[in-house]
Amino acid sequence: MLDPDGGLLRGTLDVLILKAISWGPRHGYAVAEWIRMVTDEQLLVEEGPLYTALHRLEKKGWLSAEWGYSENNRRAKYYELTRSGRQQLRAEVSGWERYVRAVTKALTAAVPDAV
Amino acid sequence: MRRAPRLGLRRGDVVRAVDDEIAFHIQMKVEKLVASGLSPEAARREAMRQFGDLEGVRRMCVTLDHQREHAMRRKNYLDELRQDVGYAFRMLRRNLGVTSVIVLTLALGIGANTAIFALVNAVLLRKLPVPNPDELLVLGDPSRVGSLSWGDNSRTDLHSWKTYLELRKQTDVVSGLAASGRSERLDVRTEQGGEAERPRGRMVSGNYFNVLQVPAFRGRVFDGSEDNAVGGSPMVAISYGYWMRRFAGDERAIGRDIHINGARFTISGVTPPWFTGEIVGTSTDIWIPITMQQMLTPNRPNLLEATQAYWLLLIGRRKAGVSFEQAQARFTPVLRMLLKEQAANPATAAGADTVTVPISSGARGLSRVRANFKAPLIALLGGVGVLLLIICANVASLLLARAVARAKEMSVRLALGAARTRLVRQLLTEGVVLALCSAAAGLLVARWGTQLLLALAADGGTRIPLDTALDLPVVLFTIGLSMVAVLVFGLAPALRASRVDLQSVMRANAKAVTGGSLTGPRIPIGKMLISAQVALSLVLLVGAGLLVRSLRGVERAPTGLDRDHLLIVDVDASAGGHTGERLYPYARELSERVQAVSGVVAVSYSENGIFSGTESASNIGVPSFTAREANDSITRYDAIGPGYARATGARLLRGRDIRESDIAGGLPVILVNETFARFYFGSADRAAGATIRLGDSTRAQIAGVIMDTKDHELTAEVERRYYYAYQQHPFEEPGQLRLIVRASGDPALLVNPVRKALRAYDAQLPINGIDPLSALMRASVRQERLLARLASGFGTVALLLAAIGLYGVLTYAIGRRTGEIGLRVALGARRGTVIGMVLGDALRLVVIGVVLGIPLALGVMQLIRTQLHDVKPTDPIALIVAVVVLGVSALAAALIPSLRASRVAPLVALRED
Repeated sequence: MLDPDGGLLRGTLDVLILKAISWGPRHGYAVAEWIRMVTDEQLLVEEGPLYTALHRLEKKGWLSAEWGYSENNRRAKYYELTRSGRQQLRAEVSGWERYVRAVTKALTAAVPDAV
Repeated sequence: MRRAPRLGLRRGDVVRAVDDEIAFHIQMKVEKLVASGLSPEAARREAMRQFGDLEGVRRMCVTLDHQREHAMRRKNYLDELRQDVGYAFRMLRRNLGVTSVIVLTLALGIGANTAIFALVNAVLLRKLPVPNPDELLVLGDPSRVGSLSWGDNSRTDLHSWKTYLELRKQTDVVSGLAASGRSERLDVRTEQGGEAERPRGRMVSGNYFNVLQVPAFRGRVFDGSEDNAVGGSPMVAISYGYWMRRFAGDERAIGRDIHINGARFTISGVTPPWFTGEIVGTSTDIWIPITMQQMLTPNRPNLLEATQAYWLLLIGRRKAGVSFEQAQARFTPVLRMLLKEQAANPATAAGADTVTVPISSGARGLSRVRANFKAPLIALLGGVGVLLLIICANVASLLLARAVARAKEMSVRLALGAARTRLVRQLLTEGVVLALCSAAAGLLVARWGTQLLLALAADGGTRIPLDTALDLPVVLFTIGLSMVAVLVFGLAPALRASRVDLQSVMRANAKAVTGGSLTGPRIPIGKMLISAQVALSLVLLVGAGLLVRSLRGVERAPTGLDRDHLLIVDVDASAGGHTGERLYPYARELSERVQAVSGVVAVSYSENGIFSGTESASNIGVPSFTAREANDSITRYDAIGPGYARATGARLLRGRDIRESDIAGGLPVILVNETFARFYFGSADRAAGATIRLGDSTRAQIAGVIMDTKDHELTAEVERRYYYAYQQHPFEEPGQLRLIVRASGDPALLVNPVRKALRAYDAQLPINGIDPLSALMRASVRQERLLARLASGFGTVALLLAAIGLYGVLTYAIGRRTGEIGLRVALGARRGTVIGMVLGDALRLVVIGVVLGIPLALGVMQLIRTQLHDVKPTDPIALIVAVVVLGVSALAAALIPSLRASRVAPLVALRED
């Protein structure tokens, strides 16, 4: 999930965002906090790119946005998964699982195959 | 989450939204860091650091949002459009009856207009499909494509080969000058002795294809070297169409030999499919170098040597920047000099000094059809235009009635907050959908219509091969016409009617009982439209009536000939070498053979024939007559055989007919017609026996005077004419021969016996045609008949539409007044009173239309004056018939609704409201 410089691999941030919003509408700050928390502050080096990703996903039609009021009564932009966003998340998750299984199997192999 | 008010979609809003969003993030972060113990300044710095490149992110987000909104706006627009179109189709389908009437009548009108326009486009507008057609110029009269004239008379409408060779040296104004002339009949055989077939040929100079810039499609076309040696280029170029038709597109046809009139020619190449020659209205099959003329027709005079054979039209390509005037100024002095040199006598030479060579644009090619059909086509275009106006009036009434019916729906939608622009857009979409449906249907009608028109124009004869393909200009014309028709005439009133307010609609329901005038005060437009339709229909009916009466008059006018018993035999005597004096015995022999056919009463012959062939004119001198203008001593003439007056049925007024004994050597004798006798002598009495001068020196005696006969045209006045005894006539030119056969019964029955008798005498004799005179006369007024037929068709359709319109408006009005009528009946009104009331209202509309239509018709008829013969544009009979027909039709259309109104049951009517 990290590129050689320790940044996020392209596309990984997208799926994390989708996942963060999958439980209901969230604003950008909440998404950032969630990612920080679940990844033990490992992955999100800068928060700015999170916003360009949010806007990109909105343009793609995976997210829809609406202005609302936060818990402490401030105007905030809330994002929500659209139907196609939810499909995208499902596809990404199963793709990720397949990938991990394959790599895990390879890395844990005990005996090299005859070539 | 509580929703916040949504921001608009303007550019500034997008930027502000992004800023707000980022600001919110930073603020939340700062609060969190402060809560964990940092000072506000440190917290702010840390928050910014964690965020990263703020300005870059901000710019990126704004860009993304703009792109998203742009896409969304377009999608919204398309969605709305789809919605509008879907809604339009639903509305149109819901009123299927009205919609089909609109589309069908419009398709008819638009189709008729498109069909005529396709002809106008093909004949008058379309340019030759060659590169840069606007550079082309024509030296001569572009309508004389099939002519060959002989004589010592300094012509400029056509040119001789010798003149052409000199003119084409003027290379400072044209980059090239090509010559093109008619070919004699071509009998083409692919094998010697095989079946002959007759393609349309054109004799052209070697540079013809270079000047027109037409490349070879297969093989090669002429390259200019063909003009170098007389008789040295036995080759032909053929058209793509002929290649396909005759050789099925076989590549081996290129380079093979064919036999034309017995001579061997090689097919050198095929022209591209887009090129059918420079003549509009004829497609050329085969091009032959002019230098091969003697090989092709060895018995004909040598047209390459003769300076007095005028038969070539010259097509040149102007050099850049050279105007037609400059070209004319360059060519005219050269032509004058040449004609002066070639003149045989001093008078002709003097005449050559004043000629100007006619120069016109060659962009649209040459055409005889164009000259003939220009005026009728424009008249027809006007006629269908009027028809379309009537149709538009109908469409307007229908859409108006519907708009009124929908006023309630519109007002409800407005009341519910629909934007007025959205409603207008919706109406426009409906209009465009209607227009496009009509245009599509109209194109179908047009495709079929142009074929019908061409068939009608041919009148049973050969089709004019016009390219009436519905090309881009025609399709654009159609779509434009439909749009204008629907939007202006249909939608404008509907839009006006859609400017509703709630009150007036609510009031309308109450009005059904209180009444008002029959057609309703709220749609005076409906009334106006009916009167306009009546007026326009009157114009078409009067036009049709005049054209029909003109045609009748022309066809029934006395011709002075025994028109129902004559057979005209057109033979090509010179093809067998019978030219000049050799014609004398040949003519005698042929007529003797035909005389022997049973059923033949009398036979004679003449050079020009009757309603076939050409006309000749000559200069004469009458001692007792002084010419006031140069034209006075010019008169038409023909050379006729013995017994001509008896054979044709022309009445002999004074003197005698031509006799067998009037042969070369004796004093030449002539017959003259009555107009000739009156013009030069004052009376037939004084003319008979007089001696006059023919041409320059010949003296001839007037042996007899015959009554005027129409010899070549039914529509023209009889001109003064003399008839030279054929056997005495000095044929300096090849001369022609046509036999005139008088039958005891139907001349059509003699066609085959006569052909057999001629063949028995000379199996090689080419027979161009054997036709009853009545058929030739009919063919000569083909164009007039076409015009009369089409105008009658337009008139009938107009009448029908006006009647339908009247019927529709009355039905609609009565529907709205059912309550009122029911009340009247309940109060004791009789059926007769109700019928009278409705008819009276209808009559008022018709009378207004007729009163407006009469001056309009009289004005418009002045425009077709040139198409009328023996009938004045103000002919009262045509006008009265038109008014009566219109009145009766209107009455019939009004009768059904009025009867229906009279049967309104009072109770039902009153319950309805």
